[in-house]
Amino acid sequence: MSANALLEVRGLTTAFATESGPFNAVEGVDLALGAGRTLGLVGESGCGKSVTALSVMGLIASPGRVVSGEIVFEGENLRSLSAGQMRDIRGDRISMIFQEPMTSLNPAFTIGDQITEGILRHRPVGRQEAKRQAIEMLRHVRMPLPERRFDDHPHKLSGGMRQRAMIAMALALKPRLLIADEPTTALDVTIQAQILELMRMLRDETGAAIILITHDLGVVAELAQEVAVMYAGRIVERASVDALFAEPQHPYTIGLLGSIPRLDREAARLPAIEGQVPNPMTPPPGCRFAPRCPFATEKCKREEPGLREVVPGHHARCWYAPIP
Amino acid sequence: MTIEAAGNVVAKHRHQETQGAGPLLRVEGLVKHFPVRTGFFGRRAHVHAVDDVSFELAEGETLALVGESGCGKSTTGRLVLRLLDPTLGKVSFQGNDLLALGDRELRAARRDMQIIFQDPYSSLNPRMTVGQMLEEPLLLHGVAQSGRRERVREVLGLVGLEAEHAQRYPHQFSGGQRQRIGIARAIAVEPKLVVCDEPVSALDVSIQAQVINLLRDLQKRLGLAYLFIAHDLAVVKHISDRVAVMYLGRIVEIGTKRQVFDAPRHPYTHALLSAIPIPDPRARRERQVLGGDVPNPVDPPSGCRFRTRCPHARERCAQETPALIDDGAHAVACHFWKEITPTVRADAVLSPSKELVEARIDERLARLQAAFVT
Repeated sequence: MSANALLEVRGLTTAFATESGPFNAVEGVDLALGAGRTLGLVGESGCGKSVTALSVMGLIASPGRVVSGEIVFEGENLRSLSAGQMRDIRGDRISMIFQEPMTSLNPAFTIGDQITEGILRHRPVGRQEAKRQAIEMLRHVRMPLPERRFDDHPHKLSGGMRQRAMIAMALALKPRLLIADEPTTALDVTIQAQILELMRMLRDETGAAIILITHDLGVVAELAQEVAVMYAGRIVERASVDALFAEPQHPYTIGLLGSIPRLDREAARLPAIEGQVPNPMTPPPGCRFAPRCPFATEKCKREEPGLREVVPGHHARCWYAPIP
Repeated sequence: MTIEAAGNVVAKHRHQETQGAGPLLRVEGLVKHFPVRTGFFGRRAHVHAVDDVSFELAEGETLALVGESGCGKSTTGRLVLRLLDPTLGKVSFQGNDLLALGDRELRAARRDMQIIFQDPYSSLNPRMTVGQMLEEPLLLHGVAQSGRRERVREVLGLVGLEAEHAQRYPHQFSGGQRQRIGIARAIAVEPKLVVCDEPVSALDVSIQAQVINLLRDLQKRLGLAYLFIAHDLAVVKHISDRVAVMYLGRIVEIGTKRQVFDAPRHPYTHALLSAIPIPDPRARRERQVLGGDVPNPVDPPSGCRFRTRCPHARERCAQETPALIDDGAHAVACHFWKEITPTVRADAVLSPSKELVEARIDERLARLQAAFVT
């Protein structure tokens, strides 16, 4: 991993306590992200992608806990910071947007109040200046009639407009890192196209790095430069977006890419990954994907492979990668 | 198939069918307005949820209704089953006018028409075992107890679950398995038509593929007709024979899968197709991004409802509602589709570069992915 990484996560393990004992929602996650780069963090429900993001943000709440690992952001280990220091960073140098804007916007306050709140919290400016900056930001995210929307409550806006408002809020302080957790999943496809275009434009303008968390490989192909695929709490493959889509090396990624119905292909029958994700309380002893992997051998069922570089710049957690 | 022990009403109803004559389902001029109160003083108004929708569905066929939130596709599905009563219009199923049926006859007719919901969890009763849930519709339709047990076992097998699963409760299953239970309940009574309302939208990608494959297998085996309601055009392309695209309560285009996907005529269909992210970074496209939002269905635009977002809109579009004009089997509701279609198709083409490299790489992927096909 490079010395000039904006964010470097090493050996991150986050556990949750349950009635039947603790389990690791993410285990041994390594990630690195350069300034201005976009990393797609992909996987299905429960794979640990959101928990990874919340761990970086310092937003894991009881009964969850970051158990081990380092989260180094701009040379500083975030895990060694106090709660107050973390609050200074959140919303300023790192910010986050969520899937459902309606649940992350406060219905009792206007859009303007919510954007200026962050500006006033982190910047030594007065109300007038904060309002000016907020309206500027709303204009930036292509909100129609930004001066009017400033005084609107969230329920007055459509889903797409709310997501624009949330993006404006997240970017108001020009963060170095934006974590976007399923930012377009709740939106209709024509609105999703608008928001993806907006995010691409804002990234190019602001130079913010983005961690894009999604289950949608199409969205990743559109926006990300690098991709990490997660399965059952672990990163199973990491590569540039072109390499990952063209020559995936982990059987899970191969199966996942095959199981998506596509507009540009015809298939009589979809390749489907049979079975289901293992219970996180009782992960299988060897490779976690082995029970669903058509290529699994006895070794896979016994011993868990590590994540290693199988082709230059391309990491996979599989005994048999690179797969010919 | 079993269930000879069906009740008298059902048997009588079945004998009256006119097999082979006409479509299984015919919907004509369906309209549904929901009353709402708007504004501070509670002025009465209507949501124009479905407005003049007509289509036919043949036995064993899949017609997809696609569109974004609020386009009326789910309401149409419910009107077809008479879970809602239409404001206007006609629904004939197997030649019978569904709206003219009394309660008793309607119940009998419903044996042949079932529904699968998006969220399998909220549509399953948490206090009933899977076996009880699957027996319930059989009981309602007068199947004797001995036949019911047998049928439950058989249906569980059909959807890829084990006979032992009959003793378990919904919370003991994963999302994909719950959707299998939802499907099992729908097909238990051997329907002819299943309305599938976003049946795979709530599922993870790998599970979604399992359920899509299952729906296709069942169709082939049992000769089911599907009215497949979905927002995901890629899923629709995979499963349907014909496609109807809806926008703000109206069908704007309807045709065979080939016609709609390979030669879309309506600018909205084109925009929808162009908006879908393709999971391949090499497939960079000239995208036509639609501006604005879907208008409020309480007060839809005059004329063509799509005109406020249409890049080709002209004066006539505001004044005159375009009719859904049938040209052979491919119908479109747009005044100017003949003029705009060439431009529409030109920018839908994917970039054909690097074909040789891609062919080699895709050969490897296709070979590896074949191992996942069951």
